[in-house]
Amino acid sequence: MIRIKLKNKTKTPTMRRIIVSIISMLLCLAVNTAVSQKKKIIIPPDSTKLFNGFTVQLDVASLASSALTNSSTYSTEGALQIDLKHRIFPTLEFGVAGANKTTTDNVGYKTNGMFERIGVDFNLRKRKKDAKPTNNLFIAGIRIGMSNFNYNVTNIVIPENYWGTGDPINYLDQSTTKIWYEIVVGVQVEVFKNFYMGWSIRDKNLISSDVTGTVAPWYIPGFGLNNGTSWGLNYTLGYHFWPQKKNVKHNKVLLNQQNININKK
Amino acid sequence: MKKSIFIVLIFSILLTVSCNTDETCTQTKYVKLTAGFYHPYFNDTTKVLTVTSLHIDSLTVQGIKYDTLTHKYHLIDSLLYNNNKTKLSSIDLPLNNFATQSMFRFTLNSVVDTVTIYHTYFNNYLSLECGCTVLHSIDTVITTHHYIDSVQIKFRDVNTISVENLRIYNHDYTRK
Repeated sequence: MIRIKLKNKTKTPTMRRIIVSIISMLLCLAVNTAVSQKKKIIIPPDSTKLFNGFTVQLDVASLASSALTNSSTYSTEGALQIDLKHRIFPTLEFGVAGANKTTTDNVGYKTNGMFERIGVDFNLRKRKKDAKPTNNLFIAGIRIGMSNFNYNVTNIVIPENYWGTGDPINYLDQSTTKIWYEIVVGVQVEVFKNFYMGWSIRDKNLISSDVTGTVAPWYIPGFGLNNGTSWGLNYTLGYHFWPQKKNVKHNKVLLNQQNININKK
Repeated sequence: MKKSIFIVLIFSILLTVSCNTDETCTQTKYVKLTAGFYHPYFNDTTKVLTVTSLHIDSLTVQGIKYDTLTHKYHLIDSLLYNNNKTKLSSIDLPLNNFATQSMFRFTLNSVVDTVTIYHTYFNNYLSLECGCTVLHSIDTVITTHHYIDSVQIKFRDVNTISVENLRIYNHDYTRK
């Protein structure tokens, strides 16, 4: 019914003009919205490649604490961090650690062992639209750590009782495998070109616990003192190999070209 | 930028240095066998046996050690108990940590008995700070029967938990 009415009405020239003007207005609106939508789309495209090189890191906190303090434990570790899209960082950490401890009762504990950790970090720092691309990272991640090591506990003296004393007890070549997980939070800053410094705090938790009565290790390489949970602090120096070239200029040119095209239209 | 890096580095070293370990042992290491004294009383009219705690007026306990060189038993010089003042109803005894037999000479109200406890022993590792304790498990108990009538094993495991391991009964003199 409406169509019929319209058809009848369009036959008059004044109505035709009105309809044409309405249609032209609508078209103008449509074009405007299209242009404004195009303007919104114009943001610097994320030109970061999937593989963005890798960083080789050395932990100096463990080295410094081993050297500076008169500690009975030592640890040296490094890491390989792969940069994926500058957001995800699969990480492999490995190192050597040990302990040579003598208690006030002259009980000795000695161990040397290797450890490995595998995990992933995520860059939590979001890039603003108008900000320059940066290599400074605020990271959070997880690790699974493992160490298979041997240890000796020596010179345990059974307290003297009414019946006398016995020979000191030695537990030699005790072997164990320990697995733990870590929650990591930290920052990494590019101080020079491709040269990074950063620190991370770790909350370490053992997955398996020791059975009561067994000769449990006092120190676990890569984990620390065998207390079930442990805190760790790493201060790393790293060098980034195969970094992706920054496409800032390219992005700017692209942006200007798009603006020119819109203005032409 | 460099300043902040140095501050973080110093802070991290200080944090690592400050994390010292406490070497004091907080676990109890005192392993003991607890024996209680009891007096059985059989009521002929009701035909019911009642057991009451017995308080010993005079008690002396001394260890007897086997000498592997002379192959002879000898009394250890020091006394475990030498009590004439207070009445005791239970005592704690140390078992031999290096042998499967612990022998004691009891003098109960001037009557002498010898109690021999056969047991196993094994080292129980606690921690680096605490070292080891030696735990025991009682197999059998043999006694002479001058004052003591019998010995009952109530709890075989001898460890740091405070439980009554043995019950020592004296003779029921009321029974004919």
